[in-house]
Order: sequence, then C-alpha cells, then structure tokens
Amino acid sequence: MRKTINTDLAKWKSKFIKIITSLTTILLILIFPLYIKAVSMDSSSFRIESASINNAAGNKTSDNYKLSDTLGQLAAGEFSSTGYIVKAGFQYLHSIIPFRFSISNININLGTLMPNTPSTDTTTLTVYFGGAGQYQVTAAEIGKLRTLNDAANIPNTSCNGGADTCTTSQAKVWTSSTAYGFGYNMTGNDIPSDFINSTYYRPFADRNLSEAAQVVMSSPNVGKNRISTMTFKANISNIQPAGSYQTVINFVATPSY
Amino acid sequence: MRRFIIFIIFITVITIITPGIAAQQVSLSLSPPLIQAVIKPGKAILIAYSLENSGDPTILTVKVVSFEPKDNYGNIHLKDQAEGPVRFSLDNANLTLNQPFFLKTKESQQLLLRIRVPEGAPEGDYYYSLLAETTPSIGQEGTTSTQAKATIAANILVTVSQTGMVEIKPKIVLFQVLSKLKWKIFDSFSQIPLVLMVENQGKNLIVPEGKIQLRGLFGTKADYEVVQKNILSQSQRLVEATPSAEFSKQPASLVLSGFFLGPYKLSANVNFGENSPTIFASTSFFAFPFKLLAALILTVVIIIFFSKKIY
Repeated sequence: MRKTINTDLAKWKSKFIKIITSLTTILLILIFPLYIKAVSMDSSSFRIESASINNAAGNKTSDNYKLSDTLGQLAAGEFSSTGYIVKAGFQYLHSIIPFRFSISNININLGTLMPNTPSTDTTTLTVYFGGAGQYQVTAAEIGKLRTLNDAANIPNTSCNGGADTCTTSQAKVWTSSTAYGFGYNMTGNDIPSDFINSTYYRPFADRNLSEAAQVVMSSPNVGKNRISTMTFKANISNIQPAGSYQTVINFVATPSY
Repeated sequence: MRRFIIFIIFITVITIITPGIAAQQVSLSLSPPLIQAVIKPGKAILIAYSLENSGDPTILTVKVVSFEPKDNYGNIHLKDQAEGPVRFSLDNANLTLNQPFFLKTKESQQLLLRIRVPEGAPEGDYYYSLLAETTPSIGQEGTTSTQAKATIAANILVTVSQTGMVEIKPKIVLFQVLSKLKWKIFDSFSQIPLVLMVENQGKNLIVPEGKIQLRGLFGTKADYEVVQKNILSQSQRLVEATPSAEFSKQPASLVLSGFFLGPYKLSANVNFGENSPTIFASTSFFAFPFKLLAALILTVVIIIFFSKKIY
C-alpha cells in the first residue's frame, strides 16, 4: 500500500515538474526575443531611458518662419489689412460655462484662542471651469497672524515636529496640543495628495518672506464644479501674548492657457 | 397673561422674519478665460470682458500682470507686475486699472480692456493675466481671524509680429510609456500610461495637432487625436490625446486600457498647422497576462496539493 502511494507521488511530482518547465519555457520564449535595448538620451529637463525619438526630416530642426494654424493661414489677409488677429477661448473646448471661483466664508473666525486648545474654522472653495480647460487655485498669507499693533505674532505651524515637520509644500500630521502655530488642512476635490486625512496640515506660504504661493486645488482635466474645504487651525502656548491676531489669505484662481 | 402672549408672538415673529446670518461669501466669474492676439506694432485692440459677482457685494480691483509657465502641465506663475512692451488700459468711462470699484450682488461689469502695442515693440510673445481681486474686510476686534481675499484671472497671450508670420520650432523631448519596471513590460490587463512632452524652442506659441498611433500583433491598431493646447514660447508641455487621460499619481498624455498581448509599437506624429514641420517619435512595450498565468500556476499547485491529499 505504502509503495503504491510513493509511486503515485513520484508520478505527480514528475507531472508537476513537466508543467512548470513547460510554462517557464513558454514565458522565456515570449519575453526574451522581444527584449528592447534601451537608448539613453539626455536633455536639460529629462533623461529618456528607452525611447526612439526622431525629427522627421532635415528642415524640421532649422528655423522656419511659417503661419501657425492656431492663428490661421486663412487670417493672413485679415492680419495684413487690420494689423491684428484675435481669438477667444480654447480650441479644444466648446463650453459656455464661465470660469468662476467662490469662497463660502471670507471671514474665518478662530474666536478667542485658549492655550493648548486648538481652534479651527472652515471655508469652502468652489471652482467652475467648464470653459477654462484646466485650473489651479493658489493660497498665500500676506504675513503671519499678528496683533493689530504688530507687537506679537503666532508663528506658522511646523505640525507635530520631528518626522512630522510640515512645510508650505508638504503636509504632515498635526495632532499634538503642544505643537503651536497656524496652518491649514484640505479635503475634497482636486486637493494636493499630501493632505492624506484631516490630521494633515501645512503652514501658509508667507508673502512677507517671499515664499511662493502654494497650489491648494488644481486639475488638468476638463470638469464642471469642483469643491474643497479648507480648515484653518491655530494653537497657542501659555506664553502667547494676549491680543487680536489677524492676517489675510490671498486665494488666486487661474485658468490654463 | 395677555402681555405674555403678545410677547411670545412678538418673539416668534421676529425669529421667523429675521433672515439667518450667513457667512460673507465671494463668488466671481470672469470671461473669456483666454484671449490670443497677434498684433502688429503700432496697433491696438479692444477686448470686452464680463466680470460677474454672484456673491455678496464687494469692492474689486482690476489689474494686469505678466505670467510665465510654472510647470509642464499648463499651470502658470503670476508675476507682481506687467512686463514687456504691451500697454493695457480700460476704456470704461468710470473705471481704470488698479482703481477699486463696488460691485453689487448678481451684478456684472463689462471691462473694456485696450491692448496696445507701441511702435518699435520687439517681435515675440508676451503673456499676461487680467486679475480681478476683492478687497478683504477688516477683521473683528477681540477675536483671532483670517480674512480671505479672492482673485480670479483670465489669460492674455499676445504675439507681436510685423508680418503675421510666427516661428515654429518644436521638439519632442519625451515619448515613453511609464512602467514601474526597468523594462517596458506590462500585465495584459494593466492600464498603460503614456507621456508625450513637446518643447517649444521658438519665440512664439505653437499648437500641436496630429495623432498617437498604437500598433500591435495581428494588425491591432488604434489612433488617438492630439488635444490642441497652446505650448508657450521657450517652454515644455505635456501633450494630451483623446480620450484625455487622468492617471492617479502621475499626469499622462494617454492611458491605454484593455487587453494587450505581445509586442506593441506606439508612434507620435505631431505637426503645428499647415506647412509646419512634422515631428515624430516612437516607443514600444510588451504585454503578457502575468497575473492570469500566476493564477493558473497557483490553481495547478493547489490541485496537485489536494490530489496528493486524496491519494
């Protein structure tokens, strides 16, 4: 009986090895003849590992002065007679939806701040851009949250610090009640991917320090209304001087070109 | 008792009639969002913009600043002021640039923007944004608050040319499939993202036309039309093809999806209007049903395993 089982097992093993060998052989045959040798190409902006790129003919790289189709050869006569050609809108879009930008609450009230007790308020940003192709919304503060007499300010947040130190372009977790400062979180459509959840914050770019405004919403695709919520948060320490702290956040909505 | 009932009715009526206090909001629209103009030095054009306020009454200021491409995806970086030889002014009787004006709710203001190119202005492209920005209110005393200022933009692309002829100097700087592996090998059921990046080395904006072609085994063939988006002078832009692609992590010109088997060749033929040069690029990839194969092997192994158990 034991002998029979051993014989069956040996048969199965043999069959299994044959199947695996066959499959591996097929795989290797399919892959290796089609291996594509990479050709490294460098430019100032890119390193192309494996692409075949050619200009179609000799004159393609010379300086050619020709009418662009965008402006239209058909408009050549018009240009010579009037001295101008004007086109409005996007060639690839036929939309009558205007480019619209809305902020639901322009007075973000953080109330009376209590030490070690974060205070928050929200506003909703909405962009309608059916006729604009793509868009971006940037945000920057004109300076830190300051008292009216400029005697004290609330610093911009670094989030929890250490591994969770956030920057104007990188959101990190800000949950510690002893991590002080002022910052924002984003949720909703078209927001930067580093806002993983509602605990992730960034400080605003400070125009006083010549920091570049940061994109808070953007989309490369044509769409209708896109909505996001920005949560403002401030947390102060025991030694923060009393006062009314204020600043202005500039939101700029731009269509593409 | 009578006084109490009157008081209750009074309070109820006041509560019902008094409108709810809503947060102050701003909602602006500006159209057209894009203007392209070719202008001869010494000439001027007039563009009528419509600025509409759908939010609360607000004070607005209109101004023009220069912009430059921020990245390869069509986003822009606004500068602090207008640069270059092109001059801007408003033809409205009661409005000038950089001067605040009041706009009521549901009201629109026509902005008559005059764009003038002075005599002797150098030929080339100049890129501007017309901005309409709100004036933030003063925050409340006694609380910590942030005021939001809203700015909406419309872009203006000006080509200054004596003859109407523009320079077309394109170059494909990137055309490849995006693979996680070193080799361009994909699973047959995977989405295959493709990137086509065109650089405009000329001094005038160009608009790509043409198609991306996919060729596979057994005569498999598909064509994808290039989307005609402006590529500004001395910049690069990701050129998209229809159906336009939205890829989760990385922007792509096109995302191929379906069932692929064997070797495929992709080629891009892009021109920039009649009599313009055609530029060409090609790349390839290989697809095989690795996941299906793995599932088959796993099934075989499981069958063998259970067969052993049975016998």
